[in-house]
Amino acid sequence: MVGLSISEQHFVKGGIAQDLRTDGRKRLTYRPIYVETGVIPQANGSARVRIGGTDVIASVKAEIGRPSSLQPDKGKVAVFIDCSPTAEPTFGGRGGEELSSELALALQRCLLGGKSGAGAGINLSLLVIKEGKVCWDLYIDGLVISSDGNLLDALGAAIKAALANTAIPKVNVSTEVADNEQPEIDISDEEYQQFDTSGVPVIVTLTKVGTHYIADATAEEESQMSSAVSISVNRSGHICGLTKRGGSGLDPSVILDMISVAKHVSETLMNKLDSEISAAEACEDES
Amino acid sequence: MQRIYSQNVPPSTPSINLRRIAAAIIGKESCEVTTMEYVNPEGLRLDGRRFNEMRQIVAEVGVVSKADGSAVFEMGNTKVIAAVYGPREIQNKSHQQKNDHALVLCEYSMAHFSTGDRRRQKNDRRSTELSLVIRQTMEACILTELLPHSQIDIFLQVLQADGGTRSACINAATLALADAGIPMRDLAVSCSAGYLNSTPLLDLNYVEDSAGGADVTVGILPKLDKVTLLQMDAKLPMETFETVFALASEGCRAIAERIREVLQENTKQLEYRRAA
Amino acid sequence: MVMRKLELPLSQTQKVRFQTAIERLQSPAEGHGTSEVDDELLATVCGVVVRVDKLVYVRTLRARYKPQVGDIVVGRVIEVAQTRWRVDLNFTQDSFINMHDDNVQKRRTSVDELNMRNIFAEDDVVCAEVGEFHKDGSLILRVRSQKHGKLDKGQLLKVDPYLVKRIKPQFHYIESLGIDLILGCNGFIWVGEHGHVRDPMTKNTRKEQSHTPLETRQTICRIGNAIQVLSNLGFTMTLEVIMETFKLSNTRNIDIHDMLGSEFHVLVTENEAERRHG
Repeated sequence: MVGLSISEQHFVKGGIAQDLRTDGRKRLTYRPIYVETGVIPQANGSARVRIGGTDVIASVKAEIGRPSSLQPDKGKVAVFIDCSPTAEPTFGGRGGEELSSELALALQRCLLGGKSGAGAGINLSLLVIKEGKVCWDLYIDGLVISSDGNLLDALGAAIKAALANTAIPKVNVSTEVADNEQPEIDISDEEYQQFDTSGVPVIVTLTKVGTHYIADATAEEESQMSSAVSISVNRSGHICGLTKRGGSGLDPSVILDMISVAKHVSETLMNKLDSEISAAEACEDES
Repeated sequence: MQRIYSQNVPPSTPSINLRRIAAAIIGKESCEVTTMEYVNPEGLRLDGRRFNEMRQIVAEVGVVSKADGSAVFEMGNTKVIAAVYGPREIQNKSHQQKNDHALVLCEYSMAHFSTGDRRRQKNDRRSTELSLVIRQTMEACILTELLPHSQIDIFLQVLQADGGTRSACINAATLALADAGIPMRDLAVSCSAGYLNSTPLLDLNYVEDSAGGADVTVGILPKLDKVTLLQMDAKLPMETFETVFALASEGCRAIAERIREVLQENTKQLEYRRAA
Repeated sequence: MVMRKLELPLSQTQKVRFQTAIERLQSPAEGHGTSEVDDELLATVCGVVVRVDKLVYVRTLRARYKPQVGDIVVGRVIEVAQTRWRVDLNFTQDSFINMHDDNVQKRRTSVDELNMRNIFAEDDVVCAEVGEFHKDGSLILRVRSQKHGKLDKGQLLKVDPYLVKRIKPQFHYIESLGIDLILGCNGFIWVGEHGHVRDPMTKNTRKEQSHTPLETRQTICRIGNAIQVLSNLGFTMTLEVIMETFKLSNTRNIDIHDMLGSEFHVLVTENEAERRHG
């Protein structure tokens, strides 16, 4: 979407090589991040995150559902992303569909672990109410309002913040019930439980431009990338998911190096996000 | 003239509980069907407003920095972002019909989380209808003959829907177009009104709108005193219609005042900063 | 945006929105931004009312670029068409540089369609002068002097056109820093290494992509950020204001990236207030 002349491309690459990007950042510095929580009052949890010119909203809605027969002890989570045409006229009509699906898949991979649900950033066992019968279905919806690069990291941050803001009602289940019957459920209006987000990872995308990698690329820098690796890391430093984008092939040693760089960057990002989220929650409580 | 704004309804009052109560009583969970009281004997509605009070309005310009013009418009819990791109070169020559007028395109989208139950897919009939209606309203208002051979894109993104969405969209679009410096005949403003429990009610929210009474949406050009949009579902006796229409028009004028204030304040600020 | 909430202690200037002209002018000249309805003058845009003799018009602030013949503009080539280059200027329509333009033809013996890309290719940033309006409303640009042409070794910034003053000169060579600064009237600003405004007619040596020295790069980034801050705050950009902001960031030892933070924005605002009233 952003066309740069040959000489501008050279200028951008040269800057990255000299550790001085066009806006003055170093290679691994993030732009300022602003977090607001509770922006969608009718959702169970929501947040709005702005990183530079990128602006996204994430919302979490919890509905009662049945666990799948393959995993009766786990709840279900689904991630949907929508790119609003307000961000880019080209997202109008069906234009944004491809990007939306790509982002949704990448987020699912980063947050939800493998098919068995093992190693998920979001602990699905917490969502079960009655094994095999009743569970919570979490629907996570993301909306991109304004785009200036690094959508995946911004959405990951927004989802983390939205989950931190999520309050799930307490449910009382009738205990005595036959095997083939659905138990009666009583959803409390008063008692809520905050969702435990200690295990939720942050996503760090490293974009390779020339021989160097940068974190938090702007749309201009992204147009110059050869490839990008997005890694989700949780508080314990464990990697929860990994996605590679871009046509260029990467040497395995380069990928390993990028992973270790991402882990290092994720610590700063995690701390920054956590403090922003607490500040936002405090702000919301006051208002 | 009585004050039309409602000052005491905080914008972040979630209407989920109200919705569930209303749904329960209306018969969704096989209770007795009773006539829902939308206006109590003291004249207060479900959210505490009087019949001629609008919900709280929040209007701001410049929310999407990349767009030529943008705005956010909130009426109570209904929240819409409008972004205008243009006037710019026509992107798809096949769309061009009139050479000497600007081409106005409009797209309406609702976020998945905008309604109580999550939305389905993007291009359903309601979205298509609304895109068309809003486009026609704004096209009539923009001085397209001053911008030949160009295209103006209006994108509307609904973040929260709690009744009066199309009105909020038109108001947001007007603000965004003014922010983009696009010449218009007048400010297009819109408001809705309905009739429940034998009372005309201004600015219906979702619960009141779903009650089954009439819902009249009016769009006007206040300075020129012209009606640019009029839609109604359900039936009303002629006299009642006139009362409801008059109420909605009053609401429109109050919104026009507010929009004018916001735009003037914004222009003032820009001019101050710019200096000589 | 957080910054819009900053308030500046400035004197009151009169602003009017959609107000009908009260004075009965003998022959009211209808300027742009107004229209006549029932013998009264109504504003059609939101802006500042300007009265010049008998002319009344409304000047908008934020809007697309309004070209005037002779303006120096900076644009990006979006298409190499058959006999002309299509350029994006943030105008309501695209603009064109004609291959058969005298100035383009003058120096080459023959510019033909096959080697058009040797002069300007897609995505190139070019500097040109506004020539005339085509009958369909699009703009024709001219590359008249040595200063016009392709721009290399620098970065392009985009601001609202109303923030750039139409005062000559618009090309600035900052000798002490070795930097070229071009303030396009259309709001596109170029900051780059000096001497890389290439005459489109000279031989195109693409191999010449030498490294930009770190110090020059730092200066370019710093000036770029200064322009960004001024744009965020809505202050008019002249060479003077930009260089002052640049110097301010240097004297206060502010890190280049920190220039985009809240503290520097406040500093620049205070500085500007001082400059206008001090």
